[in-house]
Amino acid sequence: MVERFDAVIIGGGSAGLAALKQLANQGKQAVLIEAGTSPGTKNVSGGILYSKKPKDGKVYNVEDVYGQDFLSDAPFERMITKYMLHATSKDKIFSIDLTAAHHYQANYGCSVLMNKLNSWFAKEAGQSAEKQGGGIVSGVHVRSIGWKSNEESIAIIETDELEPFEAKAVIAADGVNSEVAELTQARDKFSPHQLYQGVKVIVKLPEQIMEERFGIEYDSGAAHLFAGDVTLNHIGGGFVYTNRDSLSAGVVYHYDSLMRNPSEPHTLVDTLLQNPMVSEFIKDEVAVKQEIDKNLPKEEQLRIQFAVSKLIKTWGELRHAYYSANGRKGLIESGKYKSDEDIRARVESIKQELESKYSTRFVTDYVELEYSAKIIPDGKRCAMRQPYYKNILFVGDAAGRGIFIGPRIEGINVGIDDAARAAESVARAIDRNVFSEDYLGQYYSQSLEASPYTKDMREIDKDYLKIFLDAAKEVPRDIIGQRYGMVLKLMSSGTLRGLAIGFANILGFERLLPLVESEETYVQVPIELADRLGKQVTSTYNPSIPTVAQRIAKLKYNDDRISHIKVLDPQSDFMKKMVKLCPTNCYSLEDQSVVLQHEACVECGTCAKETDWHHPRGEMGVSYQYG
Amino acid sequence: MIGMRSLNVAVIVKLEPDFSEGNVSYNADGTLNRAETKSILGPHSAIASLAAFYSKVRYGARITVGTMGPPIADAALQQAQMLCDADELHLYSDRLFAGADTLATAETLKAGISKMQGGIEGMDLVFSGHRASDGETGQTGPQTAWKLGFPFLGNVIDYNLDLERRTIRAKRLISLQGFYDIVEEIEAPLPAFVSVDPSYQPNFNTVSQRLALGRYRKEAAERSSNYKQYLKVFNAQQMGVDPKLVGLPGSPTIVYKVEKIPKAKASRKSEVIDGANPEHIRLAAAKIHEILSGAVVK
Repeated sequence: MVERFDAVIIGGGSAGLAALKQLANQGKQAVLIEAGTSPGTKNVSGGILYSKKPKDGKVYNVEDVYGQDFLSDAPFERMITKYMLHATSKDKIFSIDLTAAHHYQANYGCSVLMNKLNSWFAKEAGQSAEKQGGGIVSGVHVRSIGWKSNEESIAIIETDELEPFEAKAVIAADGVNSEVAELTQARDKFSPHQLYQGVKVIVKLPEQIMEERFGIEYDSGAAHLFAGDVTLNHIGGGFVYTNRDSLSAGVVYHYDSLMRNPSEPHTLVDTLLQNPMVSEFIKDEVAVKQEIDKNLPKEEQLRIQFAVSKLIKTWGELRHAYYSANGRKGLIESGKYKSDEDIRARVESIKQELESKYSTRFVTDYVELEYSAKIIPDGKRCAMRQPYYKNILFVGDAAGRGIFIGPRIEGINVGIDDAARAAESVARAIDRNVFSEDYLGQYYSQSLEASPYTKDMREIDKDYLKIFLDAAKEVPRDIIGQRYGMVLKLMSSGTLRGLAIGFANILGFERLLPLVESEETYVQVPIELADRLGKQVTSTYNPSIPTVAQRIAKLKYNDDRISHIKVLDPQSDFMKKMVKLCPTNCYSLEDQSVVLQHEACVECGTCAKETDWHHPRGEMGVSYQYG
Repeated sequence: MIGMRSLNVAVIVKLEPDFSEGNVSYNADGTLNRAETKSILGPHSAIASLAAFYSKVRYGARITVGTMGPPIADAALQQAQMLCDADELHLYSDRLFAGADTLATAETLKAGISKMQGGIEGMDLVFSGHRASDGETGQTGPQTAWKLGFPFLGNVIDYNLDLERRTIRAKRLISLQGFYDIVEEIEAPLPAFVSVDPSYQPNFNTVSQRLALGRYRKEAAERSSNYKQYLKVFNAQQMGVDPKLVGLPGSPTIVYKVEKIPKAKASRKSEVIDGANPEHIRLAAAKIHEILSGAVVK
């Protein structure tokens, strides 16, 4: 007999897990299907998670789903208390404090690493779901969805791993490259003008060194945004966020801007890292091994090699722990060390041993832990107008929802709000045992319409704009140029601003956006600002940046012999651009044809538009450690 | 469930030296240095535990893991519990059991199984590994089955139960007329004794089975971290065994000598390539090309 469930959620990212938790909170049985080895392994975020308090209407925040103890229980990284925007031009930087914009209608915003946080979400949601007879099934990839011919509201789900099963309601939370959306043709694949490409590296940095450098405390953190020459003339910018003991440093660019003028994604992130301010942010003390004398006996060479590796590892770990109050506490409680001074002395003595015995050098450089990439749906351009199909509801990235307006960057919280609304709609359908498009889909759609986030994806918020303009009041008007002169004049007066925004919103976001999101705004104006008003920032070293190959070598993969991507037209212009735009260089050009080697794929979906693109089979492909 | 009572399953396991690289240590005369070598749940015992776990996930079986050995053998029970979420752990430990060969061990294990839930009459399925990696005889399982009077199913790679008809349907890997990968499908009445083939892999292919798998795995992790709560230790007297049938007195065979099989002489030659030297890389590429062009037909 075919198994049937009330609700099946496809995809175990932050939105899918929130749907599972919220359904369980309402006493409903739900099963979540995740393709990765466990939830979180396929997820990447910038990332900052916000909890919001909109002036009109209500959103479901992470606390509404996981409980009011979220901040005390969940493994988020740091509460972001300082939000800066930097305009760059070579070694000159002009900074604007945008902390007020960050706090706008927010309870808080905290930095997160998706693997860690999603594992926690999965633990919480999984436990609650089990009590209702559901739970999380990992390592299973959904291959197709159909419907019973006699029962329109029973979906039949086929996977690569399990027997087919049935669902009365489906929540599609399978991300920006949603296969559910493609299978059902609920929406078209997103086009470059609707997307951003994000590439990020995690940089290791001891806790208290970071706190001193960024002017933050144990319970606070900083976010820094960058625009100007770091963009290499693309529309978008860079970011550096403080995590607990690492930094997230990355770049996000409009995908069509990259298509017009392709730059390799890693070059873009490297350019950010080479900006003197960022270089200084990420720097740390790094041990460099001396080459071993090849004339020594083989055994001696091996012995030295192992001894040096082990000492460097111990030095690194001990030093990392020393610069953290909890780390020192742990070491002292373990009984191995008597005092902070004791630990410091040990770190120093290992260092001296390495220097004197093995000629190890200690230099200023930085340590990269993980390279990742993700395609981000630009909600204002691609949010699904009808986020449902039969008894399937689309949430988060799968529905193309997110808020990206200048420095306002919100994705996770939007997905959680969607998920809570989808869960509520499904719970209601279960109560009545009616799963029709009218009863389920339209109700969900109306609920989304009522979400303040939906409004933010369609209209300019004049109060937010005022905060932004106030923050930028030191910017000379002439730099902004004739193009925006009139607009600014209107905007800077309280009464006129209301009128101007009203007028702009009538015109529509779509017509307004090309004006705001242009090379002028992201590249030329910041460069001129930095040139004219910027402070000089110098860096004392050149970061040694790993190659893409070295970055890929650090990632964890479960190799699948069969490629999850098939190239359709190896000679198309789009595919030829992939040779440059694939973040892990999976494409190469041979005799005017594009050839794919899928092994290094990080499943971002940059190439999805013109390929036959699937997520890998269950447990296959990349597994992020940080995300 | 069979009628009103649960499915009773036993797994018999063994604590064995860890023969994996870096863990094993030998004396100068080639015998195993037991003091220096770590002991773990034998790899075949681990597979038997996984096969028993399948009956828990699929049929809600009640599992008891039993082992004969010194007090430290409880480590094997803990590891087995981690794999099969055992409801009870039995350690059969007595000086009288020392020096047992396979037959004497089978006698002790039979007595042990009689101490499990429902006794021998109430037992439905007993699992053992294919063989032990330190004895390599592969006889303890079949001899225990014989003593219990249960039908013996060897080299099992897959099985399912029919709880209404009280039967097991199993796939066995056998060799036939010189072919080594023949799969034989057989049916036997319960109770039965199953020795699990090393290539056994449990297959959970419905959503409900995967959900149950997740629940039981979590339970197994919790239980095995408090495994002493589930542990019962029995001595010879408590088990009511005949001292003449166990340990050295009950063993008609002794291990006289284990000889090392001489290592075949390698015929391969190796050359060291220095990755930093471009000339070396060029030579290596040329060599690979030479080999490949011989093998690839364009």
